[in-house]
Amino acid sequence: MMKTTFQEMLAFIEPGLVEKPRGFELFTKELMASMVRSYDDDVKTVYVSGYAFPTELLWAFDVIPFDFEIACNNLPEAMSGRGSEIMVTSENEGYSRDICSFDRLIIACMLKGMLPKGDLYLTSSYYCHGKAKANEIVADYEGKESVLFDVPHEISASSIQYVTEQLKDIASRLEAVTGKKLDMDRFKEAIRWSNSARGSLQKINELMKEKPFPYNPIKACLLALGGAVFWGSPVREEIHQLIIREMEARISDGTALPERYRVLWYPWVPVQQTVIFSTLKAHEVSVPMVEVARVWWSELDENAPFKSLALKALENLHVGKAEKRVKALVNLAEEYDVNGVIHFATPACHGENMAFPLVRDAMEEIGLPTLNLEGDMTDERNYSPDQTMNKLASFFEVLKGAAG
Amino acid sequence: MEDKKKIGWFCSFVPEELIMAAGLEPVRLRGSVKRLTEADAYVFSNICPYLKNIFDSGLRNRLDHLDGIIFTNSCDGMRKLYDLWIRYIYTPFTFMLEVPKNRNEAGVRYFSQQLHALKKSLEEFYSVDITVRLQGAISTMNEHRIMLGRIFEQQKQSPPPLKGSELFALSDEEMTSPKGDTTGKLKGLFDARILVIGNRMDNPTLFNLVEDAKGSVVIFDTCNGLKHYSDHVDNGPDPIESLARRYLLKPTCQRMPGFDIRMERLEQLIQDYSIEGVIYSNLKYCDYSLFEMPQIERFLKMRGIPFLGLENDYLWTDLERIRIRVEAFIEMIEGGL
Repeated sequence: MMKTTFQEMLAFIEPGLVEKPRGFELFTKELMASMVRSYDDDVKTVYVSGYAFPTELLWAFDVIPFDFEIACNNLPEAMSGRGSEIMVTSENEGYSRDICSFDRLIIACMLKGMLPKGDLYLTSSYYCHGKAKANEIVADYEGKESVLFDVPHEISASSIQYVTEQLKDIASRLEAVTGKKLDMDRFKEAIRWSNSARGSLQKINELMKEKPFPYNPIKACLLALGGAVFWGSPVREEIHQLIIREMEARISDGTALPERYRVLWYPWVPVQQTVIFSTLKAHEVSVPMVEVARVWWSELDENAPFKSLALKALENLHVGKAEKRVKALVNLAEEYDVNGVIHFATPACHGENMAFPLVRDAMEEIGLPTLNLEGDMTDERNYSPDQTMNKLASFFEVLKGAAG
Repeated sequence: MEDKKKIGWFCSFVPEELIMAAGLEPVRLRGSVKRLTEADAYVFSNICPYLKNIFDSGLRNRLDHLDGIIFTNSCDGMRKLYDLWIRYIYTPFTFMLEVPKNRNEAGVRYFSQQLHALKKSLEEFYSVDITVRLQGAISTMNEHRIMLGRIFEQQKQSPPPLKGSELFALSDEEMTSPKGDTTGKLKGLFDARILVIGNRMDNPTLFNLVEDAKGSVVIFDTCNGLKHYSDHVDNGPDPIESLARRYLLKPTCQRMPGFDIRMERLEQLIQDYSIEGVIYSNLKYCDYSLFEMPQIERFLKMRGIPFLGLENDYLWTDLERIRIRVEAFIEMIEGGL
């Protein structure tokens, strides 16, 4: 059922791309294509959370990365505010509604037999613990072991070694799955593609500083999360080049949308349709930067690929002391010259939500108001359009007041 | 006798031996407020009530008797509690202990390094030499484990010598009072033999409810129950590695992968202690616990073991509703339903 849905989405996207190549549409096409492929019997499918794993390692092997979180939450039901129609299957099995809607959706898809068979189930400890548990449950359901990529919250010689060793262990598991030894030349090539796309993302992020903002913030965020699975693949670079072309055209044509206020958005954007972005647009509020779209890691060293990828994980701003991430957010707010900050809170994102007062207070110190906008990534039962519009309206008043 | 400075700790992965060898008193932390007044201004309503209670206690200076706190990355919430604590509350010594999630040799090596870092940090902050007293501290804690382990072992008898609440009081005292003050009581004769699992409980309400219903919690295997006392530290030539090995490889809780291992242990405990029913006590909003509860229920159902899943808000304010469910559960077991 899920495969058919992705096939239909793919068929819908492809003609438009041929007519007019666009970065986000290319990303969507490639994502759908790889998801469709993950169901085929002649491929080796590896479950992974692309945003929380250095996928460059996967591109060195003949495997199809299957981002189980992105896949389930890209279903039309989830995106159109009917996610609960699927989630109820896991809830009926006893999975509490206090658990993240992303994960309830994954478990429900598993129970409904909608997921592809995985040859390897990878997950990671950072960003959130829910996805690791969901991955473990899915793997267990399929009678497979779930492999946890454990990234400590500190950078030291011992943590680098610990994380590096784990990546080498995962490489051995990929060798076992594919029946082929790791080809170091191919691994280095993946590292080079990653570095190249890193450079082009930096260029995109520079262009995002333009006033008015010349791109679509939701797309930037969705690409950062869903497109993370393409780090190490030439696809990511191709997507970036198309986006750069689109942005440069908008800047030179002056076709960017009018902009009265600019806000920094973090950490995630809702997958389900909401009134949020249409309301922002109606009030000429742009979002020139979303936290997850930035480049946080150093350039990778193709001569020390495992260690480099270990550092990429350890340098993630969601890993380590919150103080580091708060400073980085303040820097982003200053770099992008924003008038305020919006924190989108999905209920079960406990670690994320607990950091909110730290960000709020730090922003207050530089004179920026912060809105805590409660909603839900995919569960429409935790989202109220009226309440959302009221909160945004109040926030616009604050922005207006601050601007004098 | 001079009072020792107290160091608070949260999670069963923290080796009290290092604190003791620094001449300090380890105290397992629990929330101290009946009603939150401060924490809600900082954290969302659906955050772990245990963490909120501790945070509220800190904000209201109820934990000022502590000279230090050792935090762990037990879960996302606990990890962030550290960040909030160092920003909004002053405690002279704080340390974030990274506990790996993988129970393998690489994990042991990394955890050893973390324990070296904790040791160094304590030594520098308190100007002490831990090395000279570490093996003595390990011996003391091993004695405690043996003693408490024996008491838990005796619970296999039918009837068990201690009520669950008495057993709870013992372990609670062991973790929160000066070492060596632990005492034992032999008592208890009840019909339904109950095993309590789940996550953290800081008061004996559930045990009392079971006993009121003429049941007996003969064992609880939470992180402040038997699990905390299982396995010993090899007091050999490399005590730090031994500590890492024991703390990381002891029986797991839900934060670690390995559901199968946990179920093997559960099955063994049910057999060893002649358990007639299992109560899963879940602290509200604890993801780890919530994820596993349905799996455990299915696991026990397939084996014909009665199961009761309970949620509490840490303060057990929903007491009467829970009481009715516990009474019905005990009645069901006694009626052989």
